[in-house]
Amino acid sequence: MTRKQRRLVLIGAALGVLGLALALVLGALRDSIVFFQSPTDVAEGKVAPDKRLRLGGLVKDGSVKRNDLLIEFAVTDGNKDVPVSYRGIVPDLFREGQGVVVEGKLGAGGQFVADTVLAKHDENYMPREVADALKKSGRWKEGEGGKK
Amino acid sequence: MIAELGHYALVLALGLSLIQGVAPLIGARRGDAALMQLGSSTALMQFVFAAASFAALVACYLMSDFSVANVFQNSNSQMPVIYKFTSAWGNHEGSMLLWVLILALFGALVAGFGSNLPATLKADVLAVQAWIGAAFYLFILFTSNPFLRIAEPPFEGRDLNPILQDFGLAVHPPLLYLGYVGCSIAFSFAAAALIEGRIDAAWARYVRPWTLGAWMALTVGIAMGSYWAYYELGWGGWWFWDPVENASLMPWLAATALLHSAVVMEKRDALKIWTLLLAILAFSLSLLGTFLVRSGVLTSVHTFASDPTRGVFILAILVIFIGGSLALFAWRAPALTQGGLFAPVSREGALLLNNLFLASACATVFVGTLYPLALEALTGDKISVGAPFFVLTFAPLFVPLLLAMPFGPLLAWKRGDAYGAAQRLLAAAAVGVMAVVIVLIAEGGSVSLAPFGIGLALFVMGGAVTDLAERTGVVRIPFAAARARAAGLPRSAWGTALAHFGVGVTLLGIVAETHWNAERIVSLKPSQAVTLRHYELTFEDVVARQGPNYREQVARFAVRRDGQVLATLEPSKRSFATRGMTTTEAALLTRGVSQLYVSLGDTAADGALVVRIYHKPLVLLIWLGALVMALGGALSLSDRRLRIGAPKPAAKSTLAPAE
Amino acid sequence: MTLWLAFSLMTAAAIFAVVWPLSRGARGRDVDTTEIYRDQLGEIGRDLAMHRIGEAEAHAARVEVSRRLLAAADAQQESTLQPGAALRHRRIAALAALVLLPLIAGGIYLLLGSPNMPGAPLAARLAVPPEQRSLASLVSQAEAHVERNAGDGRGWEVLAPVYLRMGRFDDAVRARKNALALNGETADRRADLGEALVAAGNGIVSVEAKAAFDGALALNPKHEKARFFIGLALQQDGRKAEAARTWQTLLDEAPPDAPWAATVRQALAELAVPAGSSSGPSAEDVAAASKLREGERNEMVRGMVARLAARMKDEPGDLDGWLRLIRAYTVLGEREQARAAAADARRALGNDRDKAQRIDDLVKALGLS
Repeated sequence: MTRKQRRLVLIGAALGVLGLALALVLGALRDSIVFFQSPTDVAEGKVAPDKRLRLGGLVKDGSVKRNDLLIEFAVTDGNKDVPVSYRGIVPDLFREGQGVVVEGKLGAGGQFVADTVLAKHDENYMPREVADALKKSGRWKEGEGGKK
Repeated sequence: MIAELGHYALVLALGLSLIQGVAPLIGARRGDAALMQLGSSTALMQFVFAAASFAALVACYLMSDFSVANVFQNSNSQMPVIYKFTSAWGNHEGSMLLWVLILALFGALVAGFGSNLPATLKADVLAVQAWIGAAFYLFILFTSNPFLRIAEPPFEGRDLNPILQDFGLAVHPPLLYLGYVGCSIAFSFAAAALIEGRIDAAWARYVRPWTLGAWMALTVGIAMGSYWAYYELGWGGWWFWDPVENASLMPWLAATALLHSAVVMEKRDALKIWTLLLAILAFSLSLLGTFLVRSGVLTSVHTFASDPTRGVFILAILVIFIGGSLALFAWRAPALTQGGLFAPVSREGALLLNNLFLASACATVFVGTLYPLALEALTGDKISVGAPFFVLTFAPLFVPLLLAMPFGPLLAWKRGDAYGAAQRLLAAAAVGVMAVVIVLIAEGGSVSLAPFGIGLALFVMGGAVTDLAERTGVVRIPFAAARARAAGLPRSAWGTALAHFGVGVTLLGIVAETHWNAERIVSLKPSQAVTLRHYELTFEDVVARQGPNYREQVARFAVRRDGQVLATLEPSKRSFATRGMTTTEAALLTRGVSQLYVSLGDTAADGALVVRIYHKPLVLLIWLGALVMALGGALSLSDRRLRIGAPKPAAKSTLAPAE
Repeated sequence: MTLWLAFSLMTAAAIFAVVWPLSRGARGRDVDTTEIYRDQLGEIGRDLAMHRIGEAEAHAARVEVSRRLLAAADAQQESTLQPGAALRHRRIAALAALVLLPLIAGGIYLLLGSPNMPGAPLAARLAVPPEQRSLASLVSQAEAHVERNAGDGRGWEVLAPVYLRMGRFDDAVRARKNALALNGETADRRADLGEALVAAGNGIVSVEAKAAFDGALALNPKHEKARFFIGLALQQDGRKAEAARTWQTLLDEAPPDAPWAATVRQALAELAVPAGSSSGPSAEDVAAASKLREGERNEMVRGMVARLAARMKDEPGDLDGWLRLIRAYTVLGEREQARAAAADARRALGNDRDKAQRIDDLVKALGLS
């Protein structure tokens, strides 16, 4: 093999691997990303059912109902509420009036069926998406929380 | 008073780093030995002051001096001493102080143990290291100062976030920082080489032990963090593709690539540009990780404090150092000489392929981590990129890498014999294929990737063993001769094989845990039982216990297998009064390398307890594999050859030692 | 004084680190870079001896490494060190250390540090005899005791009224809840919890508080405190007639020397429904009552504010407390006091720009500046 050929092989291999990586990234980005929505978006029907999404807001006061393993609650941005059902164990910091992010799909009848419930590690910390959603609905005042 | 001493020590360290950043550089240009020597003495003294500063902060924590705002905000007089100690770095300010302390430590190590380095290179490395140090001292002093005081100190502190009150926190951040900051040394070496314009095989040899050390710390640090998340968060998961985890994975991938490409540079004087780029990249990614974690631009389950001004400051540091080093690079790159040639199929080719895949994998993680940020900035859409994305991109890139891994060490430099290597790997391949068949049969022919994953893991491990067998010739020549050869084998060869074996071990753990993890969520009343796999768990009762700064509801479970009581598991819920927070403590039963994992949910009104139980086969292998990798690194590090060049007091004539 | 001495010693050590190598005129032999290539040559020899590489490869590799060795040896010759050169640079460096180091370090430290503030380790502060200690430190000790002895419900019962008096209403609620959980349900404990909840809710009987009083009444239908607050709840719901009836019954059944009877009578009066009379109040009555109420309310508020001000001395880091205090002074019309409190707050929170900003915002909003 000449020097030129060797170089071509190497460059070819490099391009091949990079191309593979690029194809994988693009493919995965199309299929596996999850959009973040506020309760208002969902309640106003901006979201197609059966599409995975993340919903963020506050757990509405007085809305948590537990029935064995099934937990039902409403996520609110102060404007609109979305009923959520979840089967399993919620994080320690899951509380009424606290920020929460749930991931799952919108089921029939407007009930959001979550398979993941995220609350933050720190009681002072508000998930940024939640803070933004609340800001949009005018329920958030700068400096009221969100950071320590 | 102690706090003020610490504060002043920090300011002095900044002053010293400014001198250290200029004088040795001038000395190296003018050939002035004394000015170059100044780099070493200031680096050592700078470390002394950084250490004094950190010690002062720790002392304030131990004495619960709430006149220091940082102590007031992150500790409590009731905490056990060990957590008073660790809370010193369980917060933003303290952890940044630890960051510069480790940076100064590396500087001092180069100053103290870098006697094998040419004087100009050493001076330049220390100068670059000092610039990084100065940038971070300024960052700490002006945006994240841990020594700010409260005029009228309160009587009780706000306590440390309970989730951080764990022994894992004592070890995980320092190790991770050792790794992160260790990358700074490779960066300083690269920048110094570019400043000097001398980039050759010797440089690769000089930088190798430092990269290796950083890589080991990073490996163990990531593994520790993963295990901590596994048992402390109570979700049974060990990797969440969380931005903060990705931030530590990216430098690891870059450092792993750097380790391999530096070998090519050392042996064959090739891949010089690429190696330098990797050294710059590894540290840039470390900085990026620090930026992501500290600025809070990305939402993460780890983020415990965030502040935009800090983010901007770190971003500025990031831009200056990456931009500066790339400019240096552009200036010097044309002057680089062509290195040794090699055929595509050769040791060099295999290492290059390894680099390609590692760099691509690193790039996909990078994209997945930052894409949400870019998209939000461009379109305002908020998205999250979760585990599915990374599994879809990362795994397909790692499979060919792992398949090719056993071939690399068996190929000769310059021009290798792929067919010959394949022949020698037959045994390992046979083991892998047999594993695939056995698992397929055991699984009842159900279609999944698990058997192939197991097969691949065994192939990788077999490949590492084959490598050693080939080098010692244990299958071809008499045992005594092979043993003599084994003794003569450089430790780095053992290290390579061991590290590669560790990769296989980790893969085995990952595949087994992912595929055969069994999970049950049930609601139990006292004396009710639940079975999972072969284990029967009986919920006995709930008892209350008192910890030093928390109260604990402990649920007791008797674990039986075949009617025999194995152990009593005691998962609990801890409530911390000061912060009004509750944490879940999982209970683990280790059997061999598999684990039974019990964590608690809520208690219903009727006394029923929601319990989450997992059986995780071979799960411990994930972290054991990482330890084996690090052990391989340690073995390599102890190789005599890495210290070559150190001026020996006498007997300098042994040209080719008769071993 | 000791502090400044320590500072100057540290500065001297730092300067020493710079000046020492300069004065020593360090020289010493530079490292031999060719050694690495010699080692590589040796390794090729070993590999050849073990038959790990062939004769031809070994030869090619030797040629390559030898070429590098020669290049390295050439480079080394060029860059011999000049131990005695450039005295000027050393002088500049030494001068920089002597002048710049203390200047930079001192400047930045004086900008950021608090040299006049003594340390305050907790142990030393707790060693002060009890009678000289502030209420806050006693409370914190009691808290520590309670934290350590979780089963001790009595501790919480002692702490709860103290909290209430200190204005730490949320802590009072927590203490009452713990007492209730640890010592068991009684009508008294339920009612005490309700009372704390009312205090925490700025005097409003919330749903939760009402539930607590209902709980107390379920255990003891005659419980006076619970009945009083149930009456208050009715009043706040606008059901004045029912509130009056509740309180009236309470009064009628009260033993003649009940210490709380006055309070109930007062409450009844405030309902502006004269006790025992069914006819509506005259305009004058209402005016008198409301005047009375104004004065009394101010009295009450003043007491609370004084307690809050005392508390802020112990806990100067509490932003919400400061905001409340400034607002309270303004409500009382004591604008000078409010301004003084704002100044105190800014001093106490000086290190936290965000919090100081909040104080400034409030001052502006209240028109104090």
